[in-house]
Amino acid sequence: MMRKYSLFLVLFVLFIIEGTVFQIFAPDQFGSDLLFIPRWSFMLIIFAGIFRGRGTGTLYGVIFGIMFDVIYSALLGIYTFAMGLLAYLLSISIPFFQRNLPAAVFLTITAVILLEYFLYGMMLLLGMTAIPHQEFLYSRFLPSLAMNFFVLAAAAYPLRKWFEYIKRNEDDGLL
Amino acid sequence: MPSFFSNKRLIVLLVCIIILVALIGYSMSERRSLSWPEQFLTDSIGWVQSGFSRPAHFAAGFFESVNDMRNIYEENQVLKSHLDEYAALQVELTELRRVNEELKDSLDMSENLYDYTVRSALVIHRSPDRWNEYIGINKGGQDGIEENMAVMTSSGLIGKVHQVSQFSSTIQLLSDQDHTNRISAFADNGEPTYGFIEGIHEESGYLQFTKIDIDAELEEGQMVVTSGLGGIFPRGLPIGEIVYFEPDEFGLSQTAFIEPAADFRQLDSVLVIERGASSLEPDIDPEAEGGE
Repeated sequence: MMRKYSLFLVLFVLFIIEGTVFQIFAPDQFGSDLLFIPRWSFMLIIFAGIFRGRGTGTLYGVIFGIMFDVIYSALLGIYTFAMGLLAYLLSISIPFFQRNLPAAVFLTITAVILLEYFLYGMMLLLGMTAIPHQEFLYSRFLPSLAMNFFVLAAAAYPLRKWFEYIKRNEDDGLL
Repeated sequence: MPSFFSNKRLIVLLVCIIILVALIGYSMSERRSLSWPEQFLTDSIGWVQSGFSRPAHFAAGFFESVNDMRNIYEENQVLKSHLDEYAALQVELTELRRVNEELKDSLDMSENLYDYTVRSALVIHRSPDRWNEYIGINKGGQDGIEENMAVMTSSGLIGKVHQVSQFSSTIQLLSDQDHTNRISAFADNGEPTYGFIEGIHEESGYLQFTKIDIDAELEEGQMVVTSGLGGIFPRGLPIGEIVYFEPDEFGLSQTAFIEPAADFRQLDSVLVIERGASSLEPDIDPEAEGGE
């Protein structure tokens, strides 16, 4: 029972931490000009999509997209659409990505890059921001990407073990 | 992957895009209040968020206090020197208050723009993507919070209430770039000079105080406070100090740049201001606790 919903629980906790605990200790709260935007729950969704199949990825993408939209964002629909679509497109659950951990990390980081650029484009289009591309790239995109990459690289191996563990239990009919 | 974009999938994608556009249009419409599913989601997650935020604020506060301990001695010296001044000011204040009351009574003025009620609330989240400057607090419609109320910290104004749910609400900070984020304010140099606070200037990081009369005499270091003319904010909440000013691009008005009095970072608890009767919420009223 607990194991079946463990993925949702972990995603939910990550989602909450991104907006609460991380924001209190975020470097820009202490005067740094660089913005570090956590995309941990999104990365885990893509990872889950790779290891658990496209359906899982898309479902969680849409659910957490809606939550992100309603709670943190001023506009509804943007995150729901972006996270749902990216999770659908990039949840490529073939053995190549499942066996080859660096490839899976690379795929997930690609998803984060696409998400950031989609959001920047939407915000420009809707007039919610006016920051030039140069500033977006150096003060927002690259620091966030680096931070997300290191977090993902550190978590990738344990995550794969965890997904394999869930899978084994499912195959044994324990759930 | 054969037929990655088959007909059926293409149609689903198109429908999704239509829904996206419709949702964006819906949420960009002016003066929209939260629908009940949104309220339900914000409230239930807000409850979890308070559970995470409280210990985190506590931990952050602990590190801050360790830091503060180093300067305690010097601060104590300065504060002691202020203490004598304080006693004199206190006497003067009570005297002025009494005179003010008498004069008001004689003029039959029952309420004015300066009176307000204060409610304190805990900051429970901040939008992580920073495309907007919103924070969430743990009080909502059930606690008497309404849209557009002023929000401040003890040092100055930080923003206004943007959306209200039953048990939580969202605050739009003064630094948000939304073009509807505008607050009526004035600089006081004997006679008030009115203008609007309109978001943050990207390059300098100061607040922009725009649409000031071209003939108005501004000075660096002048205090800018809320005007109370918008109808919802009380008059006289401090916003910041003028750092420099210049004529705008057409030469028809002036723009001043303001160093905010409040720090928009490191927000842990905020005060929501309701204009009206001057009273404090019982649990933060120092007189209610101390004396009687």
